[in-house]
Amino acid sequence: MDPLTLGALVALITIVVLFSGVSVATGLLIVSAGFLFAFDGLRSLELMPEVFFGDLNSFALLSIPMFVIMGSAISSTRAGADLYEALDRWLTRVPGGLVISNLGACALFAAMSGSSPATCAAIGKMGIPEMRKRGYPDGVAAGSIAAGGTLGILIPPSVTMIVYGIATETSIGRLFLAGVIPGLLLMGLFMAWSIYSTWRQQAFSGALEARSFSWKEKFEILPRVLPFLLIIAGVLYSMYGGVATPSETAAVGALLCLLIAIIIYRLWSPKSLWVVLRDSTRESVMILFIIGAAAVFSYMLSSLYITQTIAAAIGDLDVNRWVLMALINVFLLVAGFFLPPVAVILMAAPVLLPVITTAGFDPYWFAVILTINMEIGLISPPVGLNLYVINGIAPDIKLKTILLGSLPYVGCMILAIILLAIFPGLATWLPNLVMGDAI
Amino acid sequence: TELRLSHQWSTNDIRHKVAQMVADEVAAADVDLDIKIFPSKSLFPATEQYKPLSRGQLDMTVLPLSYAGGQQPAYNLTLMPGLIKNHDHAARMNDSEFMQRIESIMAEDDVMVLVHGYLAGGFAGKDKCISSPDDVAGMQLRAAGKAFEQMLAKAGGSIASMASSEIYTAMQTGVLDGANTSSSSFVSYRLYEQVKCYTPAGDVALWFMYQPLLMNKDAFDDLNEAQQEALRAASANAQAYYLEEAKKEDAESVRVFTEAGVEIKQMSAEEFDAWRAMATESSYKSFVEDTPDGQELLDLALSVQ
Amino acid sequence: MILIAVLLTCQMIWVRKINNASTVWQTETVIYLMIAATLIGLPYVQRARGHVSVDLLPLLLPAKAAKALSMVTLVAAIGVMGIMFFYGLELWLVTWEKGWRSETVWGPRLWIPYLAMPVGFGLFILQLIADLVAVATGLDTLHTDERKH
Ligand code: NA
Ligand code: NA
Repeated sequence: MDPLTLGALVALITIVVLFSGVSVATGLLIVSAGFLFAFDGLRSLELMPEVFFGDLNSFALLSIPMFVIMGSAISSTRAGADLYEALDRWLTRVPGGLVISNLGACALFAAMSGSSPATCAAIGKMGIPEMRKRGYPDGVAAGSIAAGGTLGILIPPSVTMIVYGIATETSIGRLFLAGVIPGLLLMGLFMAWSIYSTWRQQAFSGALEARSFSWKEKFEILPRVLPFLLIIAGVLYSMYGGVATPSETAAVGALLCLLIAIIIYRLWSPKSLWVVLRDSTRESVMILFIIGAAAVFSYMLSSLYITQTIAAAIGDLDVNRWVLMALINVFLLVAGFFLPPVAVILMAAPVLLPVITTAGFDPYWFAVILTINMEIGLISPPVGLNLYVINGIAPDIKLKTILLGSLPYVGCMILAIILLAIFPGLATWLPNLVMGDAI
Repeated sequence: TELRLSHQWSTNDIRHKVAQMVADEVAAADVDLDIKIFPSKSLFPATEQYKPLSRGQLDMTVLPLSYAGGQQPAYNLTLMPGLIKNHDHAARMNDSEFMQRIESIMAEDDVMVLVHGYLAGGFAGKDKCISSPDDVAGMQLRAAGKAFEQMLAKAGGSIASMASSEIYTAMQTGVLDGANTSSSSFVSYRLYEQVKCYTPAGDVALWFMYQPLLMNKDAFDDLNEAQQEALRAASANAQAYYLEEAKKEDAESVRVFTEAGVEIKQMSAEEFDAWRAMATESSYKSFVEDTPDGQELLDLALSVQ
Repeated sequence: MILIAVLLTCQMIWVRKINNASTVWQTETVIYLMIAATLIGLPYVQRARGHVSVDLLPLLLPAKAAKALSMVTLVAAIGVMGIMFFYGLELWLVTWEKGWRSETVWGPRLWIPYLAMPVGFGLFILQLIADLVAVATGLDTLHTDERKH
């Protein structure tokens, strides 16, 4: 069988197996084992544990559990509520102020957490009930948080950027910087949409009441935001101030978050600490298992010469580079509908990167494009982690309402991709400024 | 017949070109032998290639033999400071009794050498030159290989382990004050943008790493005579090419660093001897302690003129 | 274990920055701790239904077929974990018998981290078997209930 036909067969069977309800990592292992056995014989099957272990045997991967700990330590405290409350008191006069403070809180929280579901959960727990209480439609309340949560993987630190950096051997520090401006841009677009839709709703129902806070109230909340700024400053300092390499920085952040959770938010009962560690273990194990399984899967693809053939085929496509980019975007979008970001990046990035760079695109710029595609995947069915998180926080909002509410935000993301395509500098300017021109 | 060759290097790398050259010449010989190359770790992680090679799950690879030093401690001698002075010396090493001993150890693992080859490297400092052991006291350093870490630690430096791809950032942010890696890594990671002084591999150099093209012995024995002959002929040509290109890489690194305005400081013969004395008390000593017949192997290696 | 890894990494940065000393063994230890935590965490996360999955086909199929499908996938999962367990065990035995060490200054014996593979995958198989029994006997209603809302 020629590798391209074989590749199509693998794709088909992988989709069927992944849809069957088996966990993603296990499904990847099952497909890999099946194809290796059928087309490569026993000698490749023997290697599966070695490939699995060898791939996890990397220091950079360690930052994943660390950033997960950061997120869950902070989301288990009142910190998210404080941040949110502070922004709320300062932004009430703006139309749609509450939605805006939620999105701002998401962005700030994203600057500490590497994971989207963590961001979603931390701000959503407080933000969704508040917004609904004050008359915002369910769709806007849930949609804005689902979308705001996705900023977690674009604004640094970001677990998916780390995975991309490892898979493509690009600089993680530079990737992080590349995400900053597009992250803020997205936040701005989300806010703009929220103001517009609130204004429209208000014209119809006038249900949104305005509230005001005294200056005293506005200022007394500020100290409660300090811990956040402390963590962000600590992480930035250790990353760019010569204390630690990007992969080591995660540990500093995790420790800072744990300490702040324990000291400032009095999270010192062993039980609540245990919950934090248990939840982060659960999420890290899930991610790392997918990473290991994806390594075996990509070993299978490579061993059967599928990856190489597809890359060569895409490379030989005689199309305009922007047509190529559009095709790649469609592919990523579709993959993102079904697979979690980490899995898509691991499988696609190494294959696509040579094609991308050959076509003259910047690998750091592409990382941002890829990440925004993954963000769309996070709020689209059937596998939209953020949707399920919101569903968990606010079980009485129908999944359909959440979904419709987040659709306009998907539009914002597609707009951001287009903007980035027109102005690549949005992604490349900051890293070039801080770290010099790309290697 | 199809053989699979895996390596960790990019397709611009000299080590890929060596493998490609063997594959091309064998194909041109028209003896029904096809070598399929899997570059850039597309099949196995870099350090996980020797095991499948020795177990026959992989046919060929190009790798630093010292990566397998955990399995055969004797291999650590192939990345030992001060054993080899320059490329011509390295070429004489390949025909020595020492290399025969190493090859017989490989044979125990069912592995054989097709192409011998060494790459050299140097030192670079962020704020000052690193050419003698006195220079490194109190510096944070990244070294390529455990024997170098031991020697630098003995000289008073502190060791931080990281991938060569992280050196650039680590120097920029000040985590590192100096680094030791191969000439080609110095260039490809653009370290000339970060360092003030470069000590290249010249008439004398400390850092030589043995990176042969290896093959599983059973896989070789299974080939017919014409195929074996074609493989041998291609390997001989590749070996000559490898040596020439390795020399060029050192020269190229000096050119690039000079152009970037980096100070170039050659290591003197006295400094080389001082380093070797340092290594004798650290890396050589610990090698002898950890390795069966370690002293004998070390003496054999040192006896090559 | 992950907590220990966090603390160790911070200790490593501290030692390097403040004492300006070498960090030799920490890097490797934390990596092995992470791998061990992942592998040994597999069965727990399976039990807590923490692995992401896409329940599209089971939702489309009638209840009986969905049950059959879930048994088929569980059996396949057990099979593939059996492969990982078996060859993982074999690899561990090789590292043990040949006394392989990691290629660093510290050079720990490799059988210690490799032990995590047979142990982790072994326990994972047991958990999967328990799940299979639960599905077969109809105990696993929790799973289907959750999906209804
Ligand atoms: Na983030
Ligand atoms: Na999705």
